[in-house]
Amino acid sequence: MTATAPAAAAEPYDYEIVKKFTIMSIVWGVVGMLVGVYIASELAWPWLNFDSPYFSFGRFRPVHTGAVIFGFGGSALFATSYYVVQRTCQTPLWGGGLVPFTFWGWQTVIVLAAVSYVTGYSQGREYAEMEWPIDILIELIWIAYLAIYIGTLMKRKQPHIYVANWFYLSFILATALLHTFNNLAVPVGLFTLKSYSLFSGPMDAMTQWWYGHNAVGFFLTAAFLGMMYYFVPKHAGRPIYSYRLSIVHFWALSFMYMWVGTHHLHWTALPDWASTLGATFSIMLLLPSWGGMINGIMTLSGAWDKLRTDPIMRFMIVALSFYGMSTFEGPLMSLKDVNALSHYTDWTVGHVHSGALGWVAMISFGSIYHMLPRLWKTEMYSVRLINVHFWLATIGVLLYVVAMWISGIMQGLMWRAFDDYGNLQYSFVESVAAMHPFYAMRALGGLFFLTGMCIMAYNAYMTIRQGQAQQAAAQLQAA
Amino acid sequence: MFKRLKNFTHEKIETNAGVLLVLTMLAISIGGMVEIVPLFLLDDTMEKVDGVRPYTPLEQRGRDIYIREGCYTCHSQMIRPFRDEQLRYGHYSLAAESKYDHPFQWGSKRTGPDLARVGGKYSNEWHTQHLLQPRSVVEESVMPNYPWLMTALDASDVADRMRALRTTGVPYSTTQAEFDRNVQQFGAEHAQMQHIPDAQVNLVKQAQAGNYDGDNRSVSEMDALVAYLQVLGTMVDFSKIKPETLVKFR
Amino acid sequence: MEWFTNPANSKSLGLLIFFVTFCLIVLWVYGSRSRSETLESHKNIPFLDDENDKNEERPHHG
Repeated sequence: MTATAPAAAAEPYDYEIVKKFTIMSIVWGVVGMLVGVYIASELAWPWLNFDSPYFSFGRFRPVHTGAVIFGFGGSALFATSYYVVQRTCQTPLWGGGLVPFTFWGWQTVIVLAAVSYVTGYSQGREYAEMEWPIDILIELIWIAYLAIYIGTLMKRKQPHIYVANWFYLSFILATALLHTFNNLAVPVGLFTLKSYSLFSGPMDAMTQWWYGHNAVGFFLTAAFLGMMYYFVPKHAGRPIYSYRLSIVHFWALSFMYMWVGTHHLHWTALPDWASTLGATFSIMLLLPSWGGMINGIMTLSGAWDKLRTDPIMRFMIVALSFYGMSTFEGPLMSLKDVNALSHYTDWTVGHVHSGALGWVAMISFGSIYHMLPRLWKTEMYSVRLINVHFWLATIGVLLYVVAMWISGIMQGLMWRAFDDYGNLQYSFVESVAAMHPFYAMRALGGLFFLTGMCIMAYNAYMTIRQGQAQQAAAQLQAA
Repeated sequence: MFKRLKNFTHEKIETNAGVLLVLTMLAISIGGMVEIVPLFLLDDTMEKVDGVRPYTPLEQRGRDIYIREGCYTCHSQMIRPFRDEQLRYGHYSLAAESKYDHPFQWGSKRTGPDLARVGGKYSNEWHTQHLLQPRSVVEESVMPNYPWLMTALDASDVADRMRALRTTGVPYSTTQAEFDRNVQQFGAEHAQMQHIPDAQVNLVKQAQAGNYDGDNRSVSEMDALVAYLQVLGTMVDFSKIKPETLVKFR
Repeated sequence: MEWFTNPANSKSLGLLIFFVTFCLIVLWVYGSRSRSETLESHKNIPFLDDENDKNEERPHHG
């Protein structure tokens, strides 16, 4: 284990791994969002597919989802969880060589996944497109991650395990469970990537959306709530509003999320009871979600003055607002009648992105901006650029979400419109043509968000250089 | 007994990583088990309808290409029981119709139309032209061109693929006994197509007989993909089924 | 007893288990004043590690 914390500390924290994951989170953020803007543009201007298998939408889309969810989001989670668990347990990471293994392993996974998609290897399951050898590598990394996390919790100096760690732990456990069962497949041969899912039809659909929605629930929500429960109080300089509420939030969320996946399968060939059950729990989920949001916002409420001066606080409050909005929109869309309109349309895409950009990315930006100066022992290179990033990101999300709301609802209404004679009013392709302006608007929103991300990368790069220069100067002085 | 219970405070959970681990695991497992396990146990999950059969070697290779190209990112294969979908796409999809689909391809997004019953709706020539240059037949389409589908299909491992599918439960045959069982269940013609030892021969035979891409001399990826698209949703003959028998499975 | 083992009833059973557990947790968390105080005291944990970090501003509530 390498450590760069000042020698003064009794047992220095392992910040090296946190630094690595933080940098890669930013790198994958830029790459993944760039691919996102590109595929969004392909839908608006199909000539961008360039008749090339490597750039065609179908193969390129999992590259986007993989790079942003597992590359950007995953690396941010590794970075922050390693940072939080050490600081709240007041002990360096347990695990020795396992720790760098999670880093190099995880980066390998993202690269291999992207390369395998564009060269035509995919399991054909959304957000789990990685073929079996990559799945096995993920499994190994995840076991190592779990071991490191538990190991560090076990040797903590603090009698109580802080609630942020509960959320991170449930994310690690749930992801292990979901990943294992959703990727059960029979390979065609030992030396080929191709495999076939063990399940078929409705069972396969059920397993996939149990995975799919809980990837959202635990990977993109619970884990980022862990982030929220540490970084929001820490940055505001105020403890969390109610610790008891966070406990109830945790147990309710852990229990309920696993039920709701079937709301992705309303009106399909899946038995009705399963999707009704999913919808019921989706509605109930609104309560703990909003409990958590209120907990976060009330924590910030004593520090409103900081909102004027501190763009990091702005990222956090906007993230919490989007969390509240998406967790309201989600249950709404899980109602069977609403779902009949919204399913298969861009509304779903908009909903995902209001969660992914508005909540996940924004809270990550806030947390990373909080960590950067502390990791490299310096000040942020430019607070003004953080502010610019904030506005670009916020405008970007709004453009994106509004475009998808309009196009989604319009699509849904056009598909079910009848003329006076009881015939379908529009052909399918008329709905496609009607989407064009909104697809362009969505690409523009994405471009805003991407520009903000690039500014963050530049700001982080300059901050790190500045930190390194200051440290070198200090060492020179000491010598 | 009571004393021990009393000592078991929430404090214990928070201070003992192991207990926290186990309880969290329990909380997150219940939902999945309650929803997924009955699907495997209850027999009202799947309708009992005639006609659904495993894909032929050529169709299965076409399906592999469908997955490779990520068609599911824009096309669903799941028609819902609404009047507009019935008019646009046909009879709503049955669970049984995807029982040999490993993995399922119901999809989640319709950037393009649903494909669950696209089979037989367009000619082979139309499909080939549409896949090569979508905008030459549908002006407003945003689908990519797929010129590389005209390359030769690699059929060398089709038997391996069918063997893997057989392991997952698809009734492809390897022995005479299994072959005879398939003759019983699916009829002689289909049983022949499902016999793994003859996979490669069957594949070429179907491609040449069907002439899907308009070029009879070689088997292309286009042949396979179009063969797959043309069989989608055509296996069940709905004119022979009373709607009442399907309702109880919903 | 048969009702419990029938997979068709697993949904209602699951709901029941969930609801009872949830009520117990809420009771547990909010039920007693002294427990509440102990629990709320944990909220300061993020601020306890500051001596290790020169860059940190001291919190007002730590």
